[in-house]
Amino acid sequence: MNPNEKNRVVRFTAIQRLFHGLLIVSFLIQGSTGLARMYIETGWGKGLAWVFGGYEGSLAVHKYVGILLVSGFVVHLMYLLFKVNWRKFPGALFEPDSLVPHLRDIKEFFQHVGWFMGIGKAPRFDRWGYWEKFDYWAVFWGIPVLGATGLILAYSLASSRIMPGWFLNVAFWIHRIEAMLAMVHIFIIHFFIAHLRRHNFPMDRAMFEGSSHIDSLRHEKPAWVARLEQTGKLDRMLVAEARPGRRLFYYLFGYAALLFGTFLLIGGLVNSRYITW
Amino acid sequence: MSTRHDRWSVLPAAVLMVGLLLLPTGLPAQEEVASAIRRYRDREVSTGFYEEYEAKPLRQRPLISIPGVRPGPFPYSPVAARVRIRTRLADSHQGIKFYKDLRCQDCHIKETRDIHTVRGNLTCRQCHGGEPIASLEHYYSPFNPIRRHAYVCAKCHEGSSASFATYVVHAPNPAMATTRKTFPVLFYVFWGMIALAGGTFVVFLPHTVMWGFRELFMKKDEAEGESERKE
Repeated sequence: MNPNEKNRVVRFTAIQRLFHGLLIVSFLIQGSTGLARMYIETGWGKGLAWVFGGYEGSLAVHKYVGILLVSGFVVHLMYLLFKVNWRKFPGALFEPDSLVPHLRDIKEFFQHVGWFMGIGKAPRFDRWGYWEKFDYWAVFWGIPVLGATGLILAYSLASSRIMPGWFLNVAFWIHRIEAMLAMVHIFIIHFFIAHLRRHNFPMDRAMFEGSSHIDSLRHEKPAWVARLEQTGKLDRMLVAEARPGRRLFYYLFGYAALLFGTFLLIGGLVNSRYITW
Repeated sequence: MSTRHDRWSVLPAAVLMVGLLLLPTGLPAQEEVASAIRRYRDREVSTGFYEEYEAKPLRQRPLISIPGVRPGPFPYSPVAARVRIRTRLADSHQGIKFYKDLRCQDCHIKETRDIHTVRGNLTCRQCHGGEPIASLEHYYSPFNPIRRHAYVCAKCHEGSSASFATYVVHAPNPAMATTRKTFPVLFYVFWGMIALAGGTFVVFLPHTVMWGFRELFMKKDEAEGESERKE
């Protein structure tokens, strides 16, 4: 096999991969510092907190990284303003290259579920599958909710000037449930779809390397590849595979995130009966 | 006609008067601060006259009515009146048999299971003080909402306001049906968030499992293009 053969289609730009990388790191730090405090009554929680300097240290890290995460989200919103094709606005938002949800996503969801159950053929996905769109937009719900409640709790004296102090009790539970929803979704559903299902096993490198193998895309995103071939754009989007050293780094990074997430998930579930909720 | 001597005698008085103008103005509230803890007034943003000028805390109003008495055509029943008097005693535990042999958690079990006690490692006395412990709603109790923020919360949370002090330290379990009456916003928000999380998992967990199985048992020709293994 020729290592310089251009057989991979570009899916993500360097800045998009950087956004995802920063999100992975900050999400795992937020998850572990948050769980460290939540589980501080258990040995598992104490061990986790020790890494960040104990119960108080975990909170300090949680606050700083939380502000970084919210700032990153704001930068991403600004980035989106530059990415939107304003000349074709709003029509461009509903083209197949856009991540904006479309009625065909609902159709494809049911068609896909039908295929799981052996009824009918798999849908011919274009550039974005409905599960990818869901994961992308989930962040637009999760970060504002976690960020707003987190800031309310972090600056409780200031926030209680503009809202009643008892709202801190409410904000605490919104933050906690939303964080658990996000972690369980990422550590089970996202990890399984991106790493462990047969099509992607051992790992879908697209988000790290920026490209996917053409054969893989012909199978999973046939409508996209066909569209690129029809419009003659495919050749310009083909790139060669990354060097082995880089590939090794992608696998190590991806699997470190997967293993750490699984550690948080299992530790959280096992110790959940020993904490004061 | 004034002499030279008279003119010079006026000078110290004039210097004193100008000097007084240069001094900072006196404040009636200047008082000696003996406590090592900074006084909350340094950071207090309100006037301190909560009953008259401030927006009252929403969940708790200052309690300045007559204990156990409800004026009007529907007075408290004797039992309700007794409960209400009990929450306004100077010694809330008065009349409890063998009180000196009891520990707080012998009766107040639920109150030992919250973040302040479990994680913050606070003891009951650190907030509620020594004996006799006044009822929460006794007019002179440190826990009366008119001064709770200053006398209790501000010990750790410097600059806390009356609004801040409405945080429910001994919060009820948000999932319990009884919370619907005691803290309805918490109850509904909790179950709303659980419905959101549950709804996501009800859809996506079976979806993920089915997808996994479907691909696992896919025919070889159907699996053509399995991504990384072919590379």
